[in-house]
Amino acid sequence: MPDPQPVPINAKFDDDFVTQLVIVLNTDTMREVAIKVAQHVVGKRLPKRDADMAVRYQGRDLPADMTVAEAGIAPLQNVYVDWVEKRVTL
Amino acid sequence: MARMKREEWYNIARDVDWTRSYVDEEAVFPEWLSGSGKVPREAWKSWDEPYKCAYSDYVATQREKEGSVYAVKAALQRSNIFESLDEGWKSTAKVHFGAVSLVEYLAVLAEQRMGRFGLSPAWRNMAVFGALDEIRHTQMDLYLAHEFIAKDPQFDWALKAYHTNCWCAIVGRATFDGMMMNPNVVDIAIQLPFTFETGFTNLQFVALAADALESGDVSFANMISSTQTDEARHAQQGGPTLEILMQHDPKRAQWMIDKTFWISARLFSLLTGPGMDYYTPLEHRKQSYKEFMEEWIVAEFLRLIEDYGLKKPWYWEEFLAGLETWHHSLHLGVWFWRQTVWMKPQGGVSKAERAWLQEKYPHWEEQWGPIWDTLIQNINAGNIGGTLPETLPWLCNLCHLPIGTAASPNNPKYPVRSYPLTHNGYTYHFCSRPCRQIWWEDKDMLHQKTIVEHLLTGEIQPPDVGGILAWMGLTPEVMGDDAYKYKWAEEYREPAPVAGAEGGSHA
Repeated sequence: MPDPQPVPINAKFDDDFVTQLVIVLNTDTMREVAIKVAQHVVGKRLPKRDADMAVRYQGRDLPADMTVAEAGIAPLQNVYVDWVEKRVTL
Repeated sequence: MARMKREEWYNIARDVDWTRSYVDEEAVFPEWLSGSGKVPREAWKSWDEPYKCAYSDYVATQREKEGSVYAVKAALQRSNIFESLDEGWKSTAKVHFGAVSLVEYLAVLAEQRMGRFGLSPAWRNMAVFGALDEIRHTQMDLYLAHEFIAKDPQFDWALKAYHTNCWCAIVGRATFDGMMMNPNVVDIAIQLPFTFETGFTNLQFVALAADALESGDVSFANMISSTQTDEARHAQQGGPTLEILMQHDPKRAQWMIDKTFWISARLFSLLTGPGMDYYTPLEHRKQSYKEFMEEWIVAEFLRLIEDYGLKKPWYWEEFLAGLETWHHSLHLGVWFWRQTVWMKPQGGVSKAERAWLQEKYPHWEEQWGPIWDTLIQNINAGNIGGTLPETLPWLCNLCHLPIGTAASPNNPKYPVRSYPLTHNGYTYHFCSRPCRQIWWEDKDMLHQKTIVEHLLTGEIQPPDVGGILAWMGLTPEVMGDDAYKYKWAEEYREPAPVAGAEGGSHA
């Protein structure tokens, strides 16, 4: 099996104020992509929430178990990660 | 011997030109530098500057101005005024010195290009004065900043910034290479003296002079006021050039103005916006950035371009909306990525300051409050690491500012998003539709690699925050940090529970 390949994406997280460079792997699932994007924002610039996250690419919400390669996410493309439910962690 | 009055000889002297007999006109004034385009060369004979100035007048006036600036500086040098200046104000001055000093030197080169390749002797004459002006501005900035280096090494970036890969320097190079270094002289005249200097330098030199005086930095106020008197004169090279261009190629004139106005507006939202609305102490603020822009830039500039028969730029509504948001976003970005700048940005979001911001910008709390609240919680929890970056914001391929900063959170009309463009199989990203449009039209003139692209092509090693800071030239002694060591966040601390106030009495 070939080694996982890094894929640099231009990622935006929910209500954050900038898009950011995040390096994901082509073997990462969308669940892992969401975590990698969120780690630069959640708890830093936006509060933690008790909610799931969803990844959107080219206007499509992607299943949590789908990998970057399966989703066809190419380097340098926009990826959006959002809270699915907006409940503030108390 | 009786001297002739200036008006008796001025027009003859300034119109002296040569009829070349042994060299082609094209060799002396090549089109790629003189840039006449659709304008017949004969038409440039009508170029007429509104402000007449002979060399003797110029020298006498400049000598007086120089004397005044340096006398004030010498007097204040002996005082302890530097120590008493607010740290936030010092940051404004550091931004100015680092971002402006060597751009003034680039302007020398642009003026010299007009002084050599302008197609009217009168224009070339004015441009020579312009070049001398810009040499003076470079020297004043560097001289004033130099005095403070022993007290604060961040002032060394007055000279250093532009020679580094700091993102601010890349923003400056991208902007001013496109405006001053790459174009022919007609385009320079429309972009630099007409759009940038007439339209925008008021902002840096008039608004900031008022804030400097209020903040007690008399020497700085005096220096930039003196600079502006020169700008007001040599900026007048733009008008006569535009007048001729409007007769022969109004489409070109409109395009040059539209693109330069947009790029300048993006730049000043970084250069001046945070200084006016965040770094200047609250009690010293005269006007908000938006108020100043509306009064001095929007109204004045529209009147000016309409006088020449030009239309509002196509993105006008987007620009006006940006006055509400751009500089707040950039301030937040500078503070969060504060290690990447050569000054100490202050948060500027104490409760009183937030009340002022909310009054001036009715959506401020809704758009920026949640992010600042999260940062404040981290500060008060002692988690400073949580307020620092571990990656780069994606940068716009035109203005090189972070993508998102031409918008704001909770803003349905201009949401935080990228405007991508795939060209020759490569995806470029832009902060806004106008940046994308301008890049597409002028990519040969305006394209430079962003820091993200430098990182992804392996030029920055190691490819982490430490490697990026080193690549930018930021060393620990000049790396930015919060201006007040986060003390401003203390007022947001939850009061400690009073002993015995909960759980009833156990007495």
